[in-house]
Amino acid sequence: MQQIHAKKSAVIRIPFRAPFLPLAMEFADKGARGFGYGDREAGGLVLAVEELFSFYEPRATVGSTVEIEMEDQGFRLALSISFHAANPDLRAFNLTWRVSHDSEDSLDTLGPMIAARSVSSLRLDFGGDEMVVIRMTRDREYPPAGAVPLLPPDVAKSVRLSDPSPDDLRHFAAMATTSCAPFLPSFLAKPGMAADMLATGHLHAVLALAGDWIAGGLLWRPLTDTCIELYGPYLFCDDPDDRTLTLLLDEAVGRISRSRSRGLLRRQGPLAGHERFFDFLGELEMAGISGHAARSVYYYRQLREESGGVVYCSARLAAFLHEQYDRLCLPRQVRETHGETALSRDASVLAVELDYPRFLAVIRPLCAGRDMAANLAGHLDLLRDEGILNFIVEINTGRGEDTAFADALAETGFVPRLLIPDAGQGDLVIYDHAEGNALS
Amino acid sequence: MNLDALVPDYVRCFEAYIPSRPDHLLMREYGAPFLHRLNNNENPLGPPPAAARAIASFPPELAAVYPSGDSYDLRQALGLRLGISPGRILVGNGSCEVISSVIKAFCRAGDTIVTADKTFAVYEWVAEFSGIQARLVPLRDFAFDPQGMLDRIDGRTKILFVCNPNNPTGSWWTRQVLVDFLEKVGDDRIVVVDEAYCEFVEDGDYPDAVGLMERFPNVVAFRTFSKMYALAGLRSGYLVGTEEVVDVVRRTSIAYSVNIQAQRAALAALSDDAGHIAATRALVREGRAYLRRVCDELELETVGGEGNYLMIKVPINDMLMYRRLMKRGMMVRSMTGFRYPGWIRVTLKEVPVMESFGEALGEEIRAIRAGGRTA
Repeated sequence: MQQIHAKKSAVIRIPFRAPFLPLAMEFADKGARGFGYGDREAGGLVLAVEELFSFYEPRATVGSTVEIEMEDQGFRLALSISFHAANPDLRAFNLTWRVSHDSEDSLDTLGPMIAARSVSSLRLDFGGDEMVVIRMTRDREYPPAGAVPLLPPDVAKSVRLSDPSPDDLRHFAAMATTSCAPFLPSFLAKPGMAADMLATGHLHAVLALAGDWIAGGLLWRPLTDTCIELYGPYLFCDDPDDRTLTLLLDEAVGRISRSRSRGLLRRQGPLAGHERFFDFLGELEMAGISGHAARSVYYYRQLREESGGVVYCSARLAAFLHEQYDRLCLPRQVRETHGETALSRDASVLAVELDYPRFLAVIRPLCAGRDMAANLAGHLDLLRDEGILNFIVEINTGRGEDTAFADALAETGFVPRLLIPDAGQGDLVIYDHAEGNALS
Repeated sequence: MNLDALVPDYVRCFEAYIPSRPDHLLMREYGAPFLHRLNNNENPLGPPPAAARAIASFPPELAAVYPSGDSYDLRQALGLRLGISPGRILVGNGSCEVISSVIKAFCRAGDTIVTADKTFAVYEWVAEFSGIQARLVPLRDFAFDPQGMLDRIDGRTKILFVCNPNNPTGSWWTRQVLVDFLEKVGDDRIVVVDEAYCEFVEDGDYPDAVGLMERFPNVVAFRTFSKMYALAGLRSGYLVGTEEVVDVVRRTSIAYSVNIQAQRAALAALSDDAGHIAATRALVREGRAYLRRVCDELELETVGGEGNYLMIKVPINDMLMYRRLMKRGMMVRSMTGFRYPGWIRVTLKEVPVMESFGEALGEEIRAIRAGGRTA
């Protein structure tokens, strides 16, 4: 039976007018503290609410309301701000946005810029009736993993599977960190975070036990509404004939197969015997600081029977999609467009997720606009200056704002490398940079 | 509208089953010139001749008239066939409806059912979206594990579901295994024996659950006209229990849910099934032998006992194999949804279709081994 976790949330709907700003800030502060978070988490969210409220309130539809919802997800707070505004200015969410002290207009956009930098993640959604939803998360503060003993060589060889408790997973995370397992997700580097995620249903796991010892494990969590990401298997023992690995994968895939998701993705190193479980999507090479390159191999399996789909995109992206859809036997209709979406707005907006240990920037379009190529080039320059060596752009095939970037991506040296079916709104096309990553 | 407040958690968290799209759309999407449906265990011979005639001669004016609300004539005929009172039979809109009726009749939110993890999924689904926990027992050697099921019984367990023969593995319990199990379960719980594929079994050791009800009044048997009788499109199935059990289940059943065409066709099918069953069994035997030979040659593991289907372990992800075969006009059942990743289930049909399938499968397997499209 699916585990059901009651949603812990609080919501206010108030007039979107300046006198209500203190109430909005108080809500963010008291809400965060009420859910058990400390000064740092509450402070970041209050700042974000203050800046966003102040910036968008004068630009919102006259007489409209703003709804602020805060949800405690155990390991993080999620906060969304929903309001109505025609053609809102979103430029300042770009990492490249710089405030000019000589310009009133530019100074004005300092608010969203501060907000974007005071939270752990930020996403924009647009609905009908000029609805704008700004979604942010702020992670709880956790200490890093300490070293723990790994499996002694003389423990029992027979392995059994077990559903971990949060304490088991906390220990497992510390073991994975101690063993210096490659491709360790950030939540395993903070064992308390992994334990909280398991306890609140944001992470699932199965462990392999040898006697009383944890011999390995496999974890999964939703990547998007339609796709689950698999982490591992992480093994702390010899595994002749990949027995433990197969045992863990069989169990996990069996459990996941009746989930709500359409697909299962694994994007770590090569996986022995992957063919029985996964389609091979492709691989990316990630440059390291010493010139050492790591391969990130993308595997995928559908969990539901294919149900087709339509993609609108430019001819350049269409050629790549046709090739991928044919290789993966995915029935899709690709319809060519001519950049109409991009022309409707002056400024494009990009979200950037930075993964400093891997010198990686993942860039996601938020809005298309006429300056897409210049905006992408600006991001590349800035990120290179910050020491980033690897660049990935993710394009949702089901979102016109995304596919409109195809030509600009080509102009700025990005190359489509692989396609992840059903991983976003539609499929997800992954680009890397012809000059940026280790492949060059 | 605040749907969150209206919808129970166990419904909100349940993911609706999405059926396959219509054949003509699938053929267009995959560019398949034809489509052999090898995914739903349908009988290619079609209904028995008398049922086919009843369907063909359906008087349109009868469409304006409500059917018998409790399938009266059909229950009379089934009673005669089974040697029991018609009052012990409840006909539903396919066996899925009677599964739902039984669970509603005996379980309340918080109760549990026990069944296998890799079997017909509807027992588990109906339980889950009704707020009832499905306690799932791993198969042992591809078969229901009686002791494993007994071990999972708790104070809230109301029903145990045994699929005999099991879909998708085709394994089945002998009479002795079933009797031993029923003795150990005792009479405080309902034991459902789903016999959807019973007419395919020729082994004399196969138990007749209806015959065991005198000794074990907590047994309920499910049967269907969808498989052997090839009336899947009309949706008609039934359950058999003691008078007392059926009287309870009737309270949670929908009257008038079985349409008039289905009742007429099922009734006719019963009157003319000896030759049909023999011909279908022969077809399935031949199809199974052929497909096993093909798989042996391709060095692919198979699992299949009784029933008109065979499971094949493929060297790639079953969902990809499904799509590759779809492009060739072969629609199989990927086994991910049955918690059997890496396996497909193939309906056994007439030899020419099996030959086409064998050829398509062989070409795909050889391409994969040669490092084809999946590499």
